[in-house]
Amino acid sequence: MLFRNVLRTLKKQYIQLLLLGVIITLSSFIYTTMDYGVGGILVPTEEYFEVSNQEDFAISMLDMILEDDGIFIASNCALTSEVHTLSGLKNIDSACYYDLIENRLNIIENEYDDINIELRENKDVYFNFDETSYKVRFLKATSEINLSYFVEGNAPATDSEIAISEAFGKSNDLDVGDTLDINGKDYTISGYVLFPDYSLALFSANLIIDNKSQSLGLLTDQEFENLNENIGFEIAGDLTNGTTEDEFEENVINDFRDNDNLPFVTNIVLTVNNMRSGAIYAELEGGEAMGLGLSLIIASIAILIVGIMVSKVLVSQRGAIGILKSMGYSNRQITIPYIFFIAILSFPAIVLGYFFGSFAAQPMSDLYKMIYLLPSSAVEHSFDTFIVAVIVPFLFLLVVSYFIIKRILNQKPVELLNPQMVSSTNFLAKKMGKFLKKLKITSKMKHLLLYRNMVKFLVFVIGMFFAAFLILFSFSMLDIFDKLTVDYYNNTNHNYIGYCDIELPCDNPTGTQEKVIELPSVILGDEEVYLVGLESDSLIHKLVDTKDNEITNKLDDGLVITKSLSLIKGFKVGDSLLLEIGDEHVLIDVMAITEEYSGNKVYMSREELGDIFVDSTEYYNVIYSETELNEDNFMMIISTEKIMEQSEVMQGLFETVFLIMIVVSVIIGAIVVYILTVMTIEDNFYNISLFKVIGYNNKEIDKMILGGYLVYGIIIFLITIPIALAAFYGLTAIFAQYYELVFPFDFEIWHAGVSTTMFIIIFYTGAFVAKRHLNRISLQEAMKMYQV
Amino acid sequence: MSIKLENVTKTYFTGEVETHAVKNVDLEIKDGEFIVLLGPSGSGKSTMLNIISGLDTPTSGKISIDEEIISDMNSKQLTKFRRDNLGFIFQQYNLLQTLSVSENVEVGREVSLLPFTVEEVLEQVDLIPQINKYPFQLSGGEQQRVSIARAVVKNPKIMFCDEPTGALDEVMAKEVLGILQKLNEKYKTSVVLITHNPNIGAMADRIIKLNSGEVVEVIENKNKLKASEISWG
Repeated sequence: MLFRNVLRTLKKQYIQLLLLGVIITLSSFIYTTMDYGVGGILVPTEEYFEVSNQEDFAISMLDMILEDDGIFIASNCALTSEVHTLSGLKNIDSACYYDLIENRLNIIENEYDDINIELRENKDVYFNFDETSYKVRFLKATSEINLSYFVEGNAPATDSEIAISEAFGKSNDLDVGDTLDINGKDYTISGYVLFPDYSLALFSANLIIDNKSQSLGLLTDQEFENLNENIGFEIAGDLTNGTTEDEFEENVINDFRDNDNLPFVTNIVLTVNNMRSGAIYAELEGGEAMGLGLSLIIASIAILIVGIMVSKVLVSQRGAIGILKSMGYSNRQITIPYIFFIAILSFPAIVLGYFFGSFAAQPMSDLYKMIYLLPSSAVEHSFDTFIVAVIVPFLFLLVVSYFIIKRILNQKPVELLNPQMVSSTNFLAKKMGKFLKKLKITSKMKHLLLYRNMVKFLVFVIGMFFAAFLILFSFSMLDIFDKLTVDYYNNTNHNYIGYCDIELPCDNPTGTQEKVIELPSVILGDEEVYLVGLESDSLIHKLVDTKDNEITNKLDDGLVITKSLSLIKGFKVGDSLLLEIGDEHVLIDVMAITEEYSGNKVYMSREELGDIFVDSTEYYNVIYSETELNEDNFMMIISTEKIMEQSEVMQGLFETVFLIMIVVSVIIGAIVVYILTVMTIEDNFYNISLFKVIGYNNKEIDKMILGGYLVYGIIIFLITIPIALAAFYGLTAIFAQYYELVFPFDFEIWHAGVSTTMFIIIFYTGAFVAKRHLNRISLQEAMKMYQV
Repeated sequence: MSIKLENVTKTYFTGEVETHAVKNVDLEIKDGEFIVLLGPSGSGKSTMLNIISGLDTPTSGKISIDEEIISDMNSKQLTKFRRDNLGFIFQQYNLLQTLSVSENVEVGREVSLLPFTVEEVLEQVDLIPQINKYPFQLSGGEQQRVSIARAVVKNPKIMFCDEPTGALDEVMAKEVLGILQKLNEKYKTSVVLITHNPNIGAMADRIIKLNSGEVVEVIENKNKLKASEISWG
């Protein structure tokens, strides 16, 4: 009988229970998705990095031949022509190049103990196929550090074999054994390969993650040497003899810039701080923490609501419970039906979330594997995750409910049989009552009614803050990837970029084409930057500032730098930057900052750059063109349209994720508002009736009883904006400091406007039913006996 | 303000069962009159009060207050009418626990056309010392006096009181009734009070006895007593 009574009581609140179930399901869903989807990648990834002996740090060094290098070359090599760069040296005397590299490695090892270093070479090959441009970054196999890892197949055994990344293969329907035509030579795919020093699929300056048009690749050493492309290099390093990353940072990273013996070293980065290879740690751990954090917040909301509902049901049943107790029923007998129904209502919701989560984990995992080039692994159920996702919240829910029930059951039967009288008012209501003294009583009511139940108020605050933060975060993130990637191309009018062949004269530009100089590795201070020489009256590559003003003509007076370079290095307009261009050191003022986040770029006048670089104001090595270029006349042609098309697919995935976040936020916000406003109407049943009797109309009562939610919701939203902004700026600073990557969180006033409008819609949607309930409350209720 | 009921009936339907809570009642309450509706439980007192005051609508018949026919009014018009003309006191005090005494009275004042001041009314009900207290800090009698003040502050033309002393002991009940009597005399407010306690009739101008939804007797009281003088059986 007791079970039937509890069931009937709960049945009356089936919509609230159903929506509460949705919140519980969401909590378990998010945790399970992130834990299986992200956490599940961590273990195999760490194994992969272990097996491949991932570098602990990477050293970048100058391509330029310095004075000491010159002395070394003079005494060890017999060169017939003058060279200025190591890559140039390799083209004319490979043995001398390797000797010089070996010499540089020895100098580093002599300077610092407890490290083991190895050269890592690469060559970028561009090729066109079916009118699409592709890029493969070939890495030369190493023997100790950053070993090649084969997901499928084997390393190339002959010069006509190639290993590519699995993501590239799958995106282009290329299986192991298929043939790939690169610039006229057919390669048989011997396997899918991964390299632990390139775990993020970003191989270009403009941060486009595009596994369809770019891949990492491996050839035999001989075939690698046969490639005509310029060599690129880094030094990979291992820490030995138990040296920690902190010790390395203190002894090496903080020292090398002042070390006179290492003028050729431009940068040393620990893997954990390396965007290219280490971001995965922060990303996966951050993803897991975010999943846990989000589900904890949602779970807290759910648990608090369960607490309020259990308490409300029991208060409404006080009299009945009092009678049962007076009849001799024990607390345990009365408790069991409540706990039983809480268990059978919440457990399926939690388990449902767990199963949905485990299904969603695979696409989530695949998304990570696509962004970070990682070995495949199927999502597997784990007992630990099941415990944390299902058992822990379930037990916690039961324990919280048990204590709430116990608190009420501990009262004497006679106390339960009498109406519950309020014996005090809470601290906040008292304090705020004084604070709100000057308000009209109807305005005051809407505040005080909200403070009356602090738990309910807390749920509202958490729920609204959570929804507001996620909505603002998602809005700000929606534009980020565009800013980092395609915005750059969207702002230009050239559709093709032709890179002139070093050995052939470049075409003279026609009317729709412009001369450009691109120098990828110019030294600015201690860093390498991408220097671009543009026409200051350029019509097809205009530079604009944050206010959308054209600033291309500023190139006549000095440099224009990208926003990302400005943020990372702290450069501002008026600063003088020392650039090493070829053999020249020039000090030039920054005249403007362009709204561009796709890399650390410096723009200067092409004529001036040509004059400095090769003593010719006519020099150019790249052509930007609106019209299609002739492939025969260029080493490589990039179609910006194709790049954008391909990258937009990837960016679309991110946008989908953020849109889902917005929808989830809206759902949670609306459910919280619905449950709380309906509860508030029920809690104020008699007050509402009384107001009606006194002569207040429904609109006035609505304002008094529910108006507080709207007002505080908007206040919470407005407070959330600066908090969210501070969090975004914090994240930007962290990324800039540790990864030298600027995340241009784009918060605009319209975000606040749209978010607030969304909140108002959430509020009216959530409160719609409550308002209908309010209108239906009869006037006679005020005359009935009730419990306060 | 005078109230006139003509052939008023209120019937409730529960499934196929018809219950006549009020049956063919004809009644007139004069301006400034103190009326006691008397009857046992289930006699239709509360239903009668509900329909006279516009809280409920009759199934048939006509109710007019002065020239206005309230039985023909829609919900909005009734709300406006109650707001401008009527005050209510219930057995349960229905005070808002988060508001102080003066604020609870202010709730009634804010929707009125020509209200009294809160202090003036609290003085009439002897609650000035408790003005800043909260309901849970007051006795039952004091709480009922706050609810009276809340009704009176509106300066209503008619006051409806549903068992206002039902939850009070004799001393407190007489105190409350005394205040109602004083307000009736001072402000010429009509009072319609329902009770099952026949002794309270001694302070009324007229006593209307109800049974099974019908007016069974109307007694003119020539010897009105003061509230403090009535015996409390």
